[in-house]
Formats: sequence, structure tokens, C-alpha cells
Amino acid sequence: MSKVVRQIGFDEGAYVAREKEDVLVGNEIIRHRLSSRVIHWAVADTFFACLFTGLPVWTPVFGWMGTLVGGLSVCRLVHPWFGFAFALSSLAMAVHWWSEMELTKEERGWVGPKLLEYLRDATNHDKIGKYNGGQKVYFHTSGLAALGLLVSGVVMWYPTSFPAWAREIAVLLHNISFILFAVSLVFHIYLATVAEPGTFNSMMRGTVSKAWARIHHPKWYREIMGLEK
Amino acid sequence: MTNGWVDIKNADVILCMGGNPAENHPCGFKWAIEAKKTRNAKIVVVDPRLTRTGAVADLYSPIRVGTDIAYLLGIIRYAIDQKRFHEDYVKIHTNAPYIVGEKFGFQDGLFTGFDEAKHTYDKTAWGYEANPKTKTYSVDPTLEDPRCVFQLLKKHVDRYTPEMVERICGTPKDTFLKVAEAVTSTGNAQRVGTIMYALGWTQHSVGVQMIRTAAMLQLLLGNVGRPGGGVNALRGHSNIQGATDTAGVFDVLPGYLKTPPAGAQTLKEYLEGATPATLGKQAWPSMNYWQNYPKFMASLLKGLYGKAATKENEFGYSWLPKIDGNYSWMYIFDDMYRGSSMRAGGKEPGPEGLMTFGMNPVGIGPNVKKMIGAHSKLKWLVVVENHEIETAAFWKAPQEYGGADPSKIQTEVFLLPASNFAEKDGSFTNSARWIQWKWKALDPPGQAKVDQEILARIFLAVRDLYRKEGGAFPEAIANVSWAYTNPAVPDLSEILKELNGKALADIPDPKDKTKVLKAAGQQLDGFAQLQDDGTTMCGNWLMSGAFTEAGNMTQRRNNADPTGLGMFHQWSFSWPANRRVMYNRASADKDGNPWDATRVGIKWNGEKWVGDVPDMKPDAPPGTFGAFIMLPEGVGRLFAPVLNDGPFPEHYEALEPACDNVLHPKVTSNPAVAKFKSDLDVYGARDKFPIICTTYRVTEMYHYWTQHLPRLNMLQPGQFVEIPEELAKEKGIVNGAKVKVTSARGSLEGVAMVTKRLKPAHADGKAIWQIGFPLHWGFTGEKGHQGTLANMLTPTAVDPNTWTPEYKSFLVTLEKA
Amino acid sequence: MSVQNSFEVVRSSAQVWGSGSSLRSLPAVSKLVDTSTCIGCKACEVACQEWNDLQVVSTEQRGTYQTMPTLDPSFWNLIRFDEHEVDGGIKWLMRKDQCMHCADPGCLEACPAPGALVQYANGIVDVNPAQCIGCGYCATGCPFDVPRFSAKTGKMSKCTLCVDRVAVGLEPACIKSCPTGCLHFGTKEEMVALGNQRVSQLKAQGYAQAALYDPQGVGGTGVVTVLAFGDHPEWYGALPRAPRVPMAVTLWKKWLRPIGFLAIFGAIVGAFGHHLYHGNKGHLDPGPVGPDEKG
Repeated sequence: MSKVVRQIGFDEGAYVAREKEDVLVGNEIIRHRLSSRVIHWAVADTFFACLFTGLPVWTPVFGWMGTLVGGLSVCRLVHPWFGFAFALSSLAMAVHWWSEMELTKEERGWVGPKLLEYLRDATNHDKIGKYNGGQKVYFHTSGLAALGLLVSGVVMWYPTSFPAWAREIAVLLHNISFILFAVSLVFHIYLATVAEPGTFNSMMRGTVSKAWARIHHPKWYREIMGLEK
Repeated sequence: MTNGWVDIKNADVILCMGGNPAENHPCGFKWAIEAKKTRNAKIVVVDPRLTRTGAVADLYSPIRVGTDIAYLLGIIRYAIDQKRFHEDYVKIHTNAPYIVGEKFGFQDGLFTGFDEAKHTYDKTAWGYEANPKTKTYSVDPTLEDPRCVFQLLKKHVDRYTPEMVERICGTPKDTFLKVAEAVTSTGNAQRVGTIMYALGWTQHSVGVQMIRTAAMLQLLLGNVGRPGGGVNALRGHSNIQGATDTAGVFDVLPGYLKTPPAGAQTLKEYLEGATPATLGKQAWPSMNYWQNYPKFMASLLKGLYGKAATKENEFGYSWLPKIDGNYSWMYIFDDMYRGSSMRAGGKEPGPEGLMTFGMNPVGIGPNVKKMIGAHSKLKWLVVVENHEIETAAFWKAPQEYGGADPSKIQTEVFLLPASNFAEKDGSFTNSARWIQWKWKALDPPGQAKVDQEILARIFLAVRDLYRKEGGAFPEAIANVSWAYTNPAVPDLSEILKELNGKALADIPDPKDKTKVLKAAGQQLDGFAQLQDDGTTMCGNWLMSGAFTEAGNMTQRRNNADPTGLGMFHQWSFSWPANRRVMYNRASADKDGNPWDATRVGIKWNGEKWVGDVPDMKPDAPPGTFGAFIMLPEGVGRLFAPVLNDGPFPEHYEALEPACDNVLHPKVTSNPAVAKFKSDLDVYGARDKFPIICTTYRVTEMYHYWTQHLPRLNMLQPGQFVEIPEELAKEKGIVNGAKVKVTSARGSLEGVAMVTKRLKPAHADGKAIWQIGFPLHWGFTGEKGHQGTLANMLTPTAVDPNTWTPEYKSFLVTLEKA
Repeated sequence: MSVQNSFEVVRSSAQVWGSGSSLRSLPAVSKLVDTSTCIGCKACEVACQEWNDLQVVSTEQRGTYQTMPTLDPSFWNLIRFDEHEVDGGIKWLMRKDQCMHCADPGCLEACPAPGALVQYANGIVDVNPAQCIGCGYCATGCPFDVPRFSAKTGKMSKCTLCVDRVAVGLEPACIKSCPTGCLHFGTKEEMVALGNQRVSQLKAQGYAQAALYDPQGVGGTGVVTVLAFGDHPEWYGALPRAPRVPMAVTLWKKWLRPIGFLAIFGAIVGAFGHHLYHGNKGHLDPGPVGPDEKG
């Protein structure tokens, strides 16, 4: 079912996208309303803040990053707070998207073969709704990693308050969670920018073209257009 | 110490008993460790508690508090029974062969001559048997005469079987036998053992007898006088030895000369009483060095009164105070508390003023309530100290101390700030009798003054008063010699020179009268140069040699050690005569050959004695004199007919006994001890107070002083009570909980230290609990680190020879606080 | 208290390319702690505090002779007291707890701050507070639970083996103060020899299990300890039986970090390659609008 929105002579798409998503505005479909985008960028920004203050602590190879923020001790001081903000944003994200991110049985294959299939452009897109399995898997992966980072991060923030075994586990968990997060993030960024033009805009302006929607998320497209059910 | 700290390294067996050297003498204890490391010496520790000394022991034996005499007599019995004593030594160097008179006897815990009403013995009942014709004493060199000392000793100790030791001391027989075997392994010429003890022996109502038992054991094992041997008292303060040597107690003058008794009104009478007559001896006569007593005394009087002391006025002897009774400090405070003197029929008032230097009587006195009561009776009190100690603050003592409302106490208290040990020059005499000079490290803070300035200025003011106003007996003060460069602040090196002594007239050389041994005004080389005619002066004959014409010998720091035995003759000065091992003549056999060639004390080289400074006339060939030159017998005493509570030691329970005396239930405690009788002198019965309690110090603290120092409070933050695990379980006490210990006199709270290191003791097979706590805390001190004075609980009970209180054994109850 | 540069640094925390030239060499130094002759007098505790100008730590009596439960940022040398029943007898064991100056120091391994922890050519592991970021990783890296983080200064602190004294030819303060001579200081070689001599003496005296504690799991330590009950190091203030740099730290530094590095860069390179090979997805219009689409 389509919705006709009053034309008032300004960027109507952006205007509508402040509050609504999954609607057609002119030739654009609103994919992410403002709150979704703010949450996304909160997670992204806090993550990068953590990354830039965490990497120099992780390895001296990135020591120069520490210099940028005023040295390693500044990193030690602010990284936990960025981490805290990152955890809060991630929590908001989880709550915000939880209902949309339920993995169906078929989608579980996205953890392995289906992802490769997708990368080879061999996927049958026809049944893909607003989010494909890969995106859902990424959502859960990053959520899980964020949780790991949070739990281990708290222990590492206050090392004197925890026993040695907890600190040892925390160090490992923080490492593993970070690597997991970082690797999947590389794909996320790649796919959302260079690999699939038009995607980045969905998270900036909030809108995608009909064509984009039809190519990448045909089922969702059909729902917006009122062509299904 | 008969020997010295360093000499401990020469021992094969080190018995630590009645002391806790690792904790309370850690720096000296290094030599015990040295012996352990370099010669595989065995450290044997006998203590109710496994202490930090016990922690490094090769053999640890528990013992019930205060039963050391039984334990040691058990070892003596074992040595005799197993023939593990040094027979050759015993025959020539002890009074074992002496025949004791027929009057001597021992029955049911009492020696002959006991006066029950007075709690005293008639010591003449214990005399040796003298031949009235020759005036020499009978001996039996074979040691077989039933009345010779050896046979009497054998008979006396016969009751102390290993089984009896177990019954009395609670020590398992196996453990006791292991200790006895280790200790008596030195009862021969090849091996040497030493004993280290401290106040764990001294502070009992049988304290002196405990130490005597140790001395007897060492004589029997042939360990006295030998490098690595001896009976070694570990002194608990840096200069307590120096204080003792310089008239630390009321009945001695400097150098252990006797304070004149009231009966000796002239010097002649006094010297007759004080100078012992030489006794005829088994083979060799005694050198009886005390026959020089008149020289020491005349020189002391010349030192005290200078030019005012003349031959005509008996060197001012009449100005010396005479004693008409017991002025030991427990008796002084008893008089003070009761407000009347026990002497002169209680007619005289008690003391009205008190000056205390470097002493905290409220803290260190037993039965603190009585001490505080005594202080409250004073008109004035002068405390010279570094901190406001309990004595200075007695008037504001908490309620539980029996402290009265401060407004009701009329005592005027003066607290004079004193410099401490690091803030003045002077000397320390250590346990090894080494008089070591030390230099001031920093200036005293604020208005603090050195002790000698405080004393001198008071003295000068008092003398001025006497000079101006006369008074009852001005001569005693007015005639005191005070010839110091700065009379208000005498330099301590001038004092040391005075203690050393100098010639007042030219002293002729006794070998060649035409020559002058010492010219008038010269410092003496040693006490051998002292004269009885007033031509020498000497403040303390024992210290003579410490500051000669060659300079201040106590400042010497040459660590050359040609003997290899750690004697260090050119390091400081050791009294007497720079001798490092006392009685060292006994380190050699009858021919002057050392018992052990690797540990030579002294030996006869055909012309003279060489090695250590000989405890013998240097050119007297072997066989001339007995080895123990200070005794009229010339030999070591296995039988000592001079002590107030018996010529042989006997096991007695503490004055607050936890059980009957197994050996003689009718005479449970030391019969020669008289109890104090004021209303605060209460003693607990075992049915009400069933637990034995003892007190001690810890390494981290120094007496009642360091609770003022934050860093040491960090190391040992507060009062604790050591409790055996089994007792804690019975009482439901957990480690770290607060507990309360109560005796008949007072109670104390502390943190429970539940430990495996204290086991239940046994007496006659029945378990008796023992607990203990350290004594460092009081109602003054750094905030947060105050506590109850340990002596709130201890009884006013004293040894009948030294009048040292029985801090080490009393009865208490224990409960959760 | 760091005096870096007075000794050749051979290892420094968080360096990409090593640290010392290793051209100048020094014999490794070591303390010897002979627990069998330690009398627990705590002189070393006081000497350590005084030499290093450390403040008094507030303590309370908790039913033990031990000064405090564990090391403190201002207390680097602690005698640990333990009571054990052995063959029916009581043993009161005392051990000087402090930084062990491991040959393979876990603290240094774990430390992320360049130069905050250094190991000199003579084996001393030193802290440089100026570089320390107070992250506490060193505590996680230490198998002996030694480094302490001070909330007041935000820095880690621990025994430096009195490097300032050693640098001028003096022995550490604790050694200097020991009255019984249960503490010694010298080259590692000498200390091991001396320690072994005591061990054989103890064995001859009936302590068959006596041993010299110089755990090889951390490459040996700069504090070697004589234990009469060498088979029970844990009796001595929880001395670990076989200490190693914790697995977590090794895994992190030796495995996870390179793996993570590779994975992240692999992903980036992969993405790049993917793009070169596959190009954009949907760069063209998908074609005519189907019948299902209204426009």
C-alpha cells in the first residue's frame, strides 16, 4: 500500500525520514528514520573513538594513534568511557532493531555458505526482505561482540577489583570480541559503501531509490509498493 | 653474658630457653645462624610457644610455662645417669668434690634452715665441711663421698626422671630425651654448647634458680669458660648491661660493690663484711680476686668525693647512704602506695617524690592499678622522656586502671623533654659486656636536653641549696666531686675517664719500687693498678681500662681477629680487662692445654697464658690457682650456698600456681617468697582463673616506647592474644575476633591470634591451657594504636634474690569480648 | 624509581622493534632468600620503605604476625607467615614476598606502555612511572601477584631491586638490613651456588625435600629462594608451584594479536580484491519496471 505525502516544495524525503521509515516518498523509499540513523552513528562513532584509543594500547604499531589523542595515558583514561558510551549505544541499537533482526531458519545459512554465495553475486534475492541474512548475522555478531567488550572492559577498567582469573579471561575476551567486531566491521563498511552504491545514503539521508530497494531487498520493496499481501 | 654475641658462632649446640633471641635480639641471633650455617650447629629451642626462634630451630620442645627448673634438672640427671658430662672438667673446675656440712638437708620441698614465719633460710646450714684444724675444706677428688657436692647433686636430681619431666613440664618424653641428648652431646672435650636466655627465666619467682640450673648444667658439661660455651644472658635494652654495671639496683654500688648495710658504720667494718676470705681448695688455692675489694672501694670513694675523701675520714665512707632494708623498686612502690615505709617499723612516711629517667614505672610495674595508686600518693613526679608516656599521664589514666578523677590527684607532674639515644654521644654496654662508644647522629629537637644536663643542673641547684641552707646532712651532697669542664653539662667522655680511674699520686711499680708505674694525674691502664690508700680514684673498677692514657678504648673499631674466634680484642673495650670470654681458664685442662685445640680460650705456653685476655694471673702456671678467680673456692659452684632460696635449684610452681607441685604438694610455690599485703595485692586461685598466661615482647616493638612511632605501629598494629587452636575451638573464638583476658587484678582486650604454635600444656597428665600476649601497648601512644597495659594483669610477686617481678606466669580467664 | 640508562636495557615493554642494543653485557644479579634462616624480623620491610621513601600504610591487627594481607603500592617487601603441621610438629614458615625479577617477566610482556617496564642487562625489572598508564595489565601478567596499582598516583609500583643502589655498587636495602644473613645479593651464578650449598646442608639435616626455588617457567628469577620443604612451595605464602606467564597474556600477545592483525587486514584486502573482481553490485538500473510495480 502506497502512501501519498503532501508536496510542500522542500526535501520531502528527508523531512519524512525524520520520523517514518518503510514509506515511499516520491521516487525514494525511506529506509532508516532519523532515530535509527542516530543510533547507528552513535554506535559507529563511539566504536571508532574506542578504536583510536584502544589500538595503541593493543599494539605499539598503532602507538601514533595514542599520540593523536595526547598519549597513552589519555587513552587509558578515556577508552573506558568511550567503551561505556559504545556499550550504551549498542544496547539502544539492540533494542531498536531487535524485532526486525530475527533470523529465520533459512537465514542461518548466512553465517557461512550463503554469505559467500552473496559475495559471488549468486544469491537469489527474491525473498530478501528489509534485511538480508548477512545483515542480521552482522547485527547479532556485533551485538555479541559489544557485550563481550563491555563485560571484559569493566574488568579491565578496574583491574584491582577483580581476581587474576577474571582479569585473564577478560583480556582474552576483549581481544576476541574486538577481532570479531573489527573483521565483520570491515565487511560491513565495504558492503555498505563501495560495494553497493546507494547503501551509504540510506544511513545518511535515510532514503534509497526504488531501484536499489528492488535489487537488494525485493521482498521489502514489494511490501512498500503494496505488491505483496 | 659469660661469653659474647660473636662467640655464639663457635658453639655446636645452642640451647635457647627462657628467651626468644630471634625475636628480641635479632641482630645478635645472627651468630646462632652463623653457627648453624658454618658448623652445622644445632639450635634447640625450649619454649611454651613456638616463637620466631622456634621457627628456625633444629629441635623444638614445648614446655609448660615456668617449669624450666624441672626440665633442666631432668637434663642434669640424664647427663649424670648416661655419663654424658665432662668428668675431667667437673673434677678440676667445679666444687663437685667439696664435702658439704652435715647440717645440709632437703626434704619435702624445703632445705634445712627454713624459717616459715619470715620466709627465709638460714644459709649457714648449707656450709661446706671445714677441717677446724687446717681451716681448709674437705674434698673428695673421686666424687664418691656421699656428702660431696656431686653425690648430693646426683641425689637431688634423681627425682627428675624423663617421666617426671613429662608430668611436670608436659613435654612428651621422647621430645625431652631428644633435647637432653642434643644438649649433653657437649659434655666432653670435643664439643661445646651454649645457652641463650633472657627474661623468660629472670621474671619468675624462681628466676635466679632457673639461671643457676643452667649454670650448673653448663659446668657439668664443661661448657663454662670455653669459646662457644657459657651461660649467656641476653639483655633487653641497648644499655641495660651498662646500667647494671653502674649501680642499677639499690644493693650494689658501681662494679657490683655492695651498698653499705646499716650495720656497717665504718669503712673498716664494711670491708671486713664485704671482702671474702680465701677458702682452701681441693688441689689449688683460689686467687680470690675479691680480696682486692678495699682497693676498689677506696678508689670509688675517692672518685665520689675527690679531695674531701681522706684517709682520716675513711674516704668519706660515712657520707654514703646505708640500707636498712629492701629498697628494691617493687618495695619502693609498695611503700609509696601504702604511704608508709616497711622499714623502721612502718613509722616513716612513704616516698613523696619520684624522678624517672628512661623508665616507665606505670607501664613496667606489675599490677598497674597498684602502680597508679602509688603514683597518686606522690606530691611531685618528674618524668624525663621523649614522649608523654603512661607514667607522665598516670593522672588521666582510664577508669579501668583504677585511675581516679584527675581533679582529686594532687601530684604535680613535670615532664621534661629528653634527648634520645641517637641525639647524644656516650657508650652502650651490650650483652657481651662490650662498652662501645657511639656518636650523636642529630641534635635533640626543641627544648629536649641530654640526661646528664638535666641531672647536673638539678644536682647543682640542690647543692646550692644545701650550701646556703645547710639542712640535716649537707656533707653527703656538698662533698661530691664535680670536677667537669662544664659542670652544667658534663661531657660523657669525662665521665668515662672518671669511671676508668686515674692515679692521684705517683704509683710505684710493685716489681721495682724505684720505678713509677703511673705518674700522678695519669689515666690507669686497668683495675690491677688500683690502690687502697687513696692514691687512685676509679668510678667503676670493672670499667677500668676503658679510657686509658692511650685514649678512649671504647671507640676502637679495629676488626682484626687473630684468634679466628671472633674475639676482636681491638674492637671497643670489654669488661673486665678487655676479656672476651669470662672464666676462660676453664677452657684449658689442668696442664693448661685447651680442651679443644680448634677453640682455644687461653693456653699455657710455658711462660704465660696466651689467647684471650686470661681470667687468671697471666704468669701463674697451671695448678697455681683455681679457674674461677672471683669465688673464694676458686671453682665453679654446682652447689651455691649463697642464694636466698636454696643451694640447689628445686622445682616450684609460680606464685599463682596452676596446679599442685607434683613433687611436694605441701610446698607448691617458692617458700622463700613473701607476698605483698596491700589491698590491691590480690592473687587468683586456679578454680576461678584456670588458664596460665605469660607475657613477652615482639620484634617489631621496643618495650612501652614504640607505640608512639607510626612505622612500627604499621608492622605490629595492636594488642593480640595468642590462643591455642584447641582452646579457641572450645571457647568459640575465631581468629581475628576480640577477646578479653582477665586475672585477679585486671583485664585486657586484644585480637585473638588462634595458632597451632601454642599447644595445651600438661601437668600431672591433666591438660592445662596456656595463652600469652605481648606487652607493648598502653593508654598513650599513636592514636588508633593504643591498648591496655599488659601489666594490668600481672601479679606483684617477686624473686627472693633479685626482687624481679613474676611477669611470666600468672592465672587468667579468657572470654569473647 | 627508575634510573634507566644507567644499565643497558635489554627488554622494554611495548616495543615493536626490540629495545636494547645488547652490545654491552652485565652478569645477571640475584637476591638469595634463605627461608630456613629467616626469623621474620621485618627489618627488610622497614628498610625497603625507608630507602624508597614509601609512606606508612594503615594496618590493623587481624590475628597474624604478618604486617598486612598482601603487598601494597607503598609496601613492596612483605614477610609472609604460614603455620603448617608436618609430621606432627609445627613449622612456622616465613618468606620474603616481593618482585621476583623474572628472566621472562610477565609484567613486561603484558605491559602496553612503551618503556614503562624495562629489564636491564643484569636482569633487574624496573618500572618507569612516567611511562606507566596505570592499566594494571602487568598485574595480570605477573604469576606472583606482585605489581600494585596505586589509586592515588594512578601508577603501578613494585620492588625495583633497589636499582638506584645497585647502580652505584650497593646491595639492595633489604639485604643490607637483614640481621641474620638469610638474605644475600650477588650475581645469579653466585646466589644459585650459595643457595644450593644451603640446600645440600638442609638435606643432610633431614630435609630431604629441600630445594632452591628458581622457577624455569619464567626463565628463572632474580630472587632465588631456599625452601626446606621444596616440594611444597605453596606453604610459603602461596608461592606458585610452577609459575608461568599466564596463558591469557601469552595467547594475547603471541597469538591473538597477530591473528587479529591478519584477520582485520585480510578483511580489508579481501574487500578490496572483491571489489576489483566483482565490481559494484547494482551499478546499473535493474531494467524495466515489472508489472508488479505501479511507478
